[in-house]
Amino acid sequence: MSKDPQDTPATRSWREIPQQVKPRAMSSGGRVRQAMGVLRVVMLALAAAAVCWGGWEAALAFHSGGAQELTRGDRVRSLVLVTDGVLGRDWLARTLAIPPDATLVGIDIDALRARLMADGQVRSAEISRNFPDRITVRVSERSPVARMMVQDGAGAPAMLLVGRDGVPFTGRGFDAAMVDSLPWIDGVTLCRSGASFAAIPGMPSVSELLATARLEADDLYRTWRVISLNRMATDGDIEVAAKSGMRVTFSTREDYLRQIARLDFLVASATDPTKPLAEVDLALGSQVPVKFGAAPPMLDQPPVNTTGATPSRATISFPSISTPRIDLKT
Amino acid sequence: MSSRTTIVGAVEIGTSKITALVGEHTGREVVIIGCGECPSRGVIKGSVVDYRAATECTQGALELAERDANEKIDHVFLGQSGGHLEGFYNEASVNVKAADNMIETDDIRTVCDLAKSKDLPLGRLVVHNIRRPFRVDGRLVPTSPENLVGQRLEVGYWTVHGQEQRLADNIHVIKGFNLEVRELVLSSLASGHMVTSLEERQNGVLAIDIGAGTTDFALYRNGAPHTTGVVAVGGGHFTNDVSIGLRLTETQAEKLKVRFGRAVVQAKERDDKVWLDGNFAIGDRQFSRHAIESITAARAWELLDVVRRKLGQAFSPEACAGGVVLTGGGAKLPAFAECAAKVFGSPARLGEAPGWVAENLRDPGYHTALGILYFGISSLTDHAAPARRKAGFLSNVTRLFAQT
Repeated sequence: MSKDPQDTPATRSWREIPQQVKPRAMSSGGRVRQAMGVLRVVMLALAAAAVCWGGWEAALAFHSGGAQELTRGDRVRSLVLVTDGVLGRDWLARTLAIPPDATLVGIDIDALRARLMADGQVRSAEISRNFPDRITVRVSERSPVARMMVQDGAGAPAMLLVGRDGVPFTGRGFDAAMVDSLPWIDGVTLCRSGASFAAIPGMPSVSELLATARLEADDLYRTWRVISLNRMATDGDIEVAAKSGMRVTFSTREDYLRQIARLDFLVASATDPTKPLAEVDLALGSQVPVKFGAAPPMLDQPPVNTTGATPSRATISFPSISTPRIDLKT
Repeated sequence: MSSRTTIVGAVEIGTSKITALVGEHTGREVVIIGCGECPSRGVIKGSVVDYRAATECTQGALELAERDANEKIDHVFLGQSGGHLEGFYNEASVNVKAADNMIETDDIRTVCDLAKSKDLPLGRLVVHNIRRPFRVDGRLVPTSPENLVGQRLEVGYWTVHGQEQRLADNIHVIKGFNLEVRELVLSSLASGHMVTSLEERQNGVLAIDIGAGTTDFALYRNGAPHTTGVVAVGGGHFTNDVSIGLRLTETQAEKLKVRFGRAVVQAKERDDKVWLDGNFAIGDRQFSRHAIESITAARAWELLDVVRRKLGQAFSPEACAGGVVLTGGGAKLPAFAECAAKVFGSPARLGEAPGWVAENLRDPGYHTALGILYFGISSLTDHAAPARRKAGFLSNVTRLFAQT
């Protein structure tokens, strides 16, 4: 029965039957299915055509220079500053220093942001492009809670403000009266961190003390002149020198509100003008050693260049303030 | 639904009802997710005689199945039955080409092409080519003989062919619902797969699917279909016999057949009467139970005898250890298995669906549709699988059907 496969006849199969039927031979459901099928094909074709058309238009725009325009963009014509503080548009323009011929898409947003963040007064900054020609800068600023006196590279005194988080900054645009009302910070060492200063260790605790005093005992707070952090690292104590010459020691380990309440009581109790309070130590819990002294002269000048000038206890008039030598130009 | 998932439908256009199943084929497995059924109109003995009516009924079943599955069918596997289907056996042999007598793919392809190449009469189309096991120098090889050593390779095919017009009518009924017929599946093979186990097919088993208009049968030997056939007699003929014998309408005869018909006469007393309706209404009549049972039993015996004669020498009780398995709606006639056991001289039983089939699809009326679905899926994977593909999970599933 062996045969040559070349001579094998083609046996007809049911697959040779044409399946297509005339529309009149289709049922209503079949016609609906067919219409839906055609509709689906048409929709797919339209979608494909839309994609092709979009691609064609993009290609045309690219070749005619539209894409180039799009890439290059328009020049920056306006700067918008949105801030929660006191910095102004002049500061922004000076800090960003955008060249006049800079285009909106050509500028380096990261570099601009780095320039802004180099200013210690800026806590956070966000820069966005607004087509066609505007740059919007959103800035969150630090508010000063204290100030400190330093010497620049030439030895000239300079004042820095200190934020709640302990970051010192030059401070621009603040009301002079507000700045004058801030207490001085003493006993700290400034460290560089990039283009600005690193945060002062322990300053958040001091900020909390100042905020509590300002809120709960504003009269006392107004008399505070110098906040010393000399014993912060070793004993956890904060020393406050008031305008009257009184020195108060606070403990960071105890509730500030309670300590301020005790101080307020003591100040209110010391009514004899001949025996004013000279020293109050609130860092020992319920036992509050108090030292009375003679009426001192009033403090109304900033403590500058008094490093190591610690008078005797009986005659002390100014608290000792160290002035770190910082080259502000570097 | 993932992009590789296809929704396939299995349709059985029967004489009494049209059944549609919907399966979700993921490429690795198929899950039955919908079922629809519609009383059949315009179909006699498995052939479409009223295109419009048959299309409407088929559409109804498909719509019900799609609604049940909540998915649209992509393509359909269509069951094929009817008296026009015939089969013949043809075999071929080739001498192995290689000098070392190792059988190669070319040898297998050549012998298979030769065995399938017998000319058909005009107007006849092949529906199935069912391969029997290979023989290498007379040695039986149930699977592929590739790389075996021998001088002569033989194979035989049981080819089922049908009349072109009737096949086209069935296909056009499906296309009338704008669905493509992806595969034609012989109903006897479909139902046979569902009610017989692999072991039974290996030992030899005869599966008989008694429908309303036709009776399909498939004889399995050595794990593969050996002979298939269709007898254009079904449950409808039982009803017709009762109708003529007792002078009743078709509806009344169907009612009596279902309630009192048996494949083996049990009633001893000829005076044992049964009521037609039993509701004491005007026109209600009594009939002899013995007469009813005699009519149905005679037809059952005759039907099974026709099947036995059609099988001829192919069937012998000794070569059919699995016995006879009956399925289909007609097999629900009581004592049909007992009758089959007497006719074939072999154990007989009613077929049951495999355990994984859901409870609502375990009725014998769904066996063919279930088989169509799984046979169609396996045929697709057969076509899609490359020749030298390594056996994987899908191949194993496919082999489950290929070994029949």
